[in-house]
Amino acid sequence: MSSLWRQFMTYNRYSQIAARALRAGLKEDARVQAEKRGFTALRYQEWENGKGGEQIWVDKPQDDGRAKPAV
Amino acid sequence: MAFRLAVRALPRRAMPVLGRRGYAEAVGAADKIKLSLVLPYSTIFSSEEVTQVNLPAVTGDMGVLANHVATIEPLRPGVLEVIESVGQSKKWFVSSGLATVHPDNTMTINVIEGAPLEDFSAEAVRSNLAEAQRVAAGNGSEVEKVEAGIEVEVYEALQAALR
Repeated sequence: MSSLWRQFMTYNRYSQIAARALRAGLKEDARVQAEKRGFTALRYQEWENGKGGEQIWVDKPQDDGRAKPAV
Repeated sequence: MAFRLAVRALPRRAMPVLGRRGYAEAVGAADKIKLSLVLPYSTIFSSEEVTQVNLPAVTGDMGVLANHVATIEPLRPGVLEVIESVGQSKKWFVSSGLATVHPDNTMTINVIEGAPLEDFSAEAVRSNLAEAQRVAAGNGSEVEKVEAGIEVEVYEALQAALR
């Protein structure tokens, strides 16, 4: 019997959802630590002739004051 | 006229050590397998000798002893147990990952997310399971129901593990 999720998503997404569910089942203090691991941020920048282009966010970080400004 | 047949001596190929076929040998009690068990953010075991590892593989629960045949097993949400020596075992609940047993009596387990069983709250698991079951049986989109189904699988396995 093949899994249902294969039709809709990649293994990456499946594993992230399962990890999110696991973190939500933890006790209070362990959960607070673990929830931070669920946040991802991604940006990219194209370089040409030694010069960097604009940094483009793919996945912006949470705006809670703790995020570092873009360098 | 006597022909002398010169039998050309073929260069003898070195017999490969692994070429001998035989029956599987029973694992001795003292044989250990080297385990590396890692999470993305921390290393639990780093090439340490252990006696047995019990894995929740997608194909079913399996136990790995020393000199196990090489295999690659995706893991399902379940309990991973490491028996370092007789009587000393540790358990973690893992969400998913990949276990690879190498041919040279070592194994690597990459786990996406995991925690010891005592770090989980039965109450949180119960309420989250009910919520996920509600979404999975509800009338959202296919993708939402499948995602809820994944969470149901994790919580059901967690409930069984915590019992």
